[in-house]
Amino acid sequence: MAYRWGMAVDLDKCTGCEACVTACHAENNIPTVGSQQAARGRAMHWIRVERYYEGNFPDVRVKFRPVLCQQCDNAPCEAVCPTYAAHQNEDGLNAQVYNRCIGTRYCANACSYNVRFFNFFNPEWVKPLNLQLNPDVSIREVGVMEKCTFCVQRIKAAKITAKAEDRGLVDGVLQPACAQACPTTALIFGDLNDPNSRVARLSHSPRGSKLLEDLGAEPKITYLDKQPWHEPDTY
Amino acid sequence: MAFPRRKAAGAWPYWALAFLFVVTMATAACEFASPGQPSGAADRSRWGTPAVFTPAHATAGDAIKSFFDSRPDTVAQPFDFSHQIHLSKGAVCTDCHTGVEQGPRAGLPNVNTCMICHSQIATDRPLIQQLTKMQEQGLDLNWNRVYDYQPQAHVRFNHAPHIRAKVACSTCHGNQAEQTVARRAVNMTMSFCVNCHKEKQASNDCLTCHY
Repeated sequence: MAYRWGMAVDLDKCTGCEACVTACHAENNIPTVGSQQAARGRAMHWIRVERYYEGNFPDVRVKFRPVLCQQCDNAPCEAVCPTYAAHQNEDGLNAQVYNRCIGTRYCANACSYNVRFFNFFNPEWVKPLNLQLNPDVSIREVGVMEKCTFCVQRIKAAKITAKAEDRGLVDGVLQPACAQACPTTALIFGDLNDPNSRVARLSHSPRGSKLLEDLGAEPKITYLDKQPWHEPDTY
Repeated sequence: MAFPRRKAAGAWPYWALAFLFVVTMATAACEFASPGQPSGAADRSRWGTPAVFTPAHATAGDAIKSFFDSRPDTVAQPFDFSHQIHLSKGAVCTDCHTGVEQGPRAGLPNVNTCMICHSQIATDRPLIQQLTKMQEQGLDLNWNRVYDYQPQAHVRFNHAPHIRAKVACSTCHGNQAEQTVARRAVNMTMSFCVNCHKEKQASNDCLTCHY
């Protein structure tokens, strides 16, 4: 049976430490562009941690929300791509094929979550950072779009190993870099087609909601939140 | 009263149109090569990155070469190795390319791998003596890759699953028993890969190879 990769993000667990962001940069060879270009909106972070402040001073609480590609079932980015560089693969991943991408940036404009990033420059790493590049992930050149892949290189490697050992994938062993780095295990990754997987059970949780659900993009990432979080008896 | 007629397009001489077209395309090309740069910029962009002709090719020459797939089949190697001799004596591929069953890379043998056998075998030959000397001096063989992908092809290849699926080495690497130093016997285009995947009913999803 085909897999259907999804994720659950427990917002009550997220401390906003940004370990996921760092891990993602390291795993996926994501270049940095410097402060000037970042100010022009050209920074690339496949996952980011958004901050929301709630309440009035002095009773202020900050709420963190990691936002990565929502791997939508009904993805707006895919419909607008003229070259089918953005498409849905058999495992339900929103794939981005760099070879096909001609850099129209339509997908970034169509994306409701702002998680697609355009390579405005050829990436360069200051020595010795070039030595820490992940050989299993290609380096995207100028003019192509890139986005979170759910660490497809890890999914591939796990599938190949599982096939070699003639077994299925064990739930919770295969993790993308962000989930692996998360110190509070706020990010839970797994197969939504397996009803017993942690992520499948969590996505049916009454605490769950989808990001910008009313847009109808049908994201595969569920955000879990204590509702309402700010009631006095909850903290 | 008649409306004033707009001038027909024919009023522009053809050479002017052609000139405009060339200028526009050149400007667009420069803009694409180094966005945000004034046109006619130097070889390197503001950020110190090399200029590009297209994202996949550094220069127009590279693009033309790639289009016509003109590159030499043979690659110069630092050592005059012969596959033919080794295979005729009963050696098999996995003896030296040890990684091929375990992981993505088959691996190119180093001096120590050669010396596993050649500390005993054919020690009187000048080439083997050269090897022995290299090992004593702590030098190694820096082989040049025969088969490789352009980084812009974004291809990830893993040997191990192909070996497990009983794909013969010769399917992609040609009959090595006829080759001395390995040369590119098979042109690994995308259709070469895709056709075999179709035949064997392997996945033809883009993410199988491109990520």
